[in-house]
Amino acid sequence: MKLKTKLTLFNTISKLVIVTLFVLLLPVLIRNINQNFTDNKLHKQKNKVLRIIKTSGIKNNLYAAYSPLKEEFYSLDEDSLDESLDTITNEKRKIEGDTIDYRILSYNFIIDKKNYLLEIGKSVDTIGETTTPLQNIAFVVLVGMILLTILADLVYSTYVLRPLDLIIKTKLIAHKFPNFGSYNKVKTSTSDFEYLDISIHKMIETIESTFQKEREFISNASHELMTPISILQSKIENMFEREDIVDELKTRLLEMQKILNRLKSITKTLLLISQIENEQFLKEDQISLTVLLGEVYDEISIRLQDKNIIYETSLPEEWNLVHVNKFLLFNLFFNLINNAIKYNHENGHIKVVATHENNIFMISIIDTGIGISAGDLPFIFNRFKKFRQSMQQDSFGLGLPIVKSIAAFHKIKIGVVSEKGKGSTFKLILPGFLIEI
Amino acid sequence: MNVLIIEDEKALADELEIFLCNHNYICEVCFNGVTASEKIAVNLYDFILIDLGLPDYDGLELLKEAKKNNPDAICMILTARAEVYDRVKGLDLGADDYLPKPFSLLELQSRMQAITRRKFGLKQNLVDLGGFLINLTDRTISYYNTEINTITKKEFDLIAYLLLHKNRTLTRSQLSEHIWGSIINDDYDSNYIDAHIKNIRKKLNVFASPDWLETVRGLGYKIKINA
Repeated sequence: MKLKTKLTLFNTISKLVIVTLFVLLLPVLIRNINQNFTDNKLHKQKNKVLRIIKTSGIKNNLYAAYSPLKEEFYSLDEDSLDESLDTITNEKRKIEGDTIDYRILSYNFIIDKKNYLLEIGKSVDTIGETTTPLQNIAFVVLVGMILLTILADLVYSTYVLRPLDLIIKTKLIAHKFPNFGSYNKVKTSTSDFEYLDISIHKMIETIESTFQKEREFISNASHELMTPISILQSKIENMFEREDIVDELKTRLLEMQKILNRLKSITKTLLLISQIENEQFLKEDQISLTVLLGEVYDEISIRLQDKNIIYETSLPEEWNLVHVNKFLLFNLFFNLINNAIKYNHENGHIKVVATHENNIFMISIIDTGIGISAGDLPFIFNRFKKFRQSMQQDSFGLGLPIVKSIAAFHKIKIGVVSEKGKGSTFKLILPGFLIEI
Repeated sequence: MNVLIIEDEKALADELEIFLCNHNYICEVCFNGVTASEKIAVNLYDFILIDLGLPDYDGLELLKEAKKNNPDAICMILTARAEVYDRVKGLDLGADDYLPKPFSLLELQSRMQAITRRKFGLKQNLVDLGGFLINLTDRTISYYNTEINTITKKEFDLIAYLLLHKNRTLTRSQLSEHIWGSIINDDYDSNYIDAHIKNIRKKLNVFASPDWLETVRGLGYKIKINA
């Protein structure tokens, strides 16, 4: 559940509980309030009556009366009670055949040695009659208030939590390892989010610098190796040319040359990968896929011929690749097709198919070779991993890492489907901006 | 032809000197930028080979000086820093070619010859090999006025390279490097050169036996011309 939802839900439930309690307690509260109010009113009326008696004498005021609907009554009469009374009680009175609950103030006093009893009554029903509507109104008002506060909570929590969303979206999801952009502070007044943002940024910086160091190391190491390799190569070539060297020695020089070539290939490949990862190549070329594959074919046809492999292409549309690096894309296709040859059987098939469905541009390289076992599949793009050693091959396991780096550089996705013994299919999914039709 | 070799790596400079002297160039070697700068200012050269990674001097600066004081010299950049930027900058500043280390000495020589040809506009560059007429400018082979158009670009590259280094055995590694050098892949020992040679022989055999294309057992191939 989202934090926003959780917060709102908690707020709603807690408010509902409080409000329900309040609404349930409301009748008791109202009764007490009403009673106090009524009692006060009765006392005031009593005082008023006493003031009138003082000015106009008692005789004129001796009577009993009730209001037409019997909600109130008033009586002042002579009384024989000895004890003095000043109470307010609930009592039942029978008036004209109706028994009605009254709240009655009873007060007796002595004027001219005579006892008088004053009674002022108010029907209990009138007192209580506001309770239910009050309860209803309170309920409606409170529910309305709850709804309003829920809405406010929701809006506020959305607002206050937005930086969190932003941090996750811009700092964690949008980043492609290992190339990060510069630090953009996420706007927030919440110090916790500021702290999170800075912490994530520090972590990213650490990762980035580690990646950078690794790339720099590979780049520097490869560069440094170039000069000694160059010296050795020149020395071997010069020795090979000398007339006074016997063939047996020449053969051994040749062996040295081969080994040196291997060293050279590895170094050049590592350097290329590090250069791609350091984005030292431009993406300003454009070339038609047909032409590019044609160029690859020119270079590779001798290898197809050597194994008697049938090579077909199916390119239904004329795709013009734009914003690409031709040299790198050439190497990508060369390596994929070269692998398809290397791990193929004699008289095998290779098919390069381009498809365009639902705005997805895909190029598949399908071979009928030895395939890759499911267990090895996740590791085939790792450097120096060699799995398919069963067939004797002179390779050092950097072909697919080159392909991976070049693809990533062009934002091309690679997928592999393979079944041991049946063959492999490498699928390249090209982003739309690389293609013009 | 006079060559100035500017290379701080003494062992490499020595090998370059030996190789070029063997091929009738007159060489001068300097191991640092300051001496090179003096030499460029005083002497005239046909070729100046500049290593960009000199400890005491900016190689590109040296290139500028060379272009100023030796405007007719062919300048080639040799460098281990195969950065795209350096390459573009070097060629922008007027370098005639750019050879990333490690390079084959044969490649260096063939580039030097190619530039010479281009620069001095040697017109028809024709070689007669036992009836086969090889035109290095138009990149064609013909046999008594019949053009052989079955020969592919790669195959012609191989013939031209062997021809350039005639009477010398070229190893498979050297030939592979020449025709596939710019491709980065993870094969380090491909024997596809043999397949190419086989094809060339087959195609030429239709007309006449190309005896001049020799296999040197266990070592490689050579084109033999009796001068």
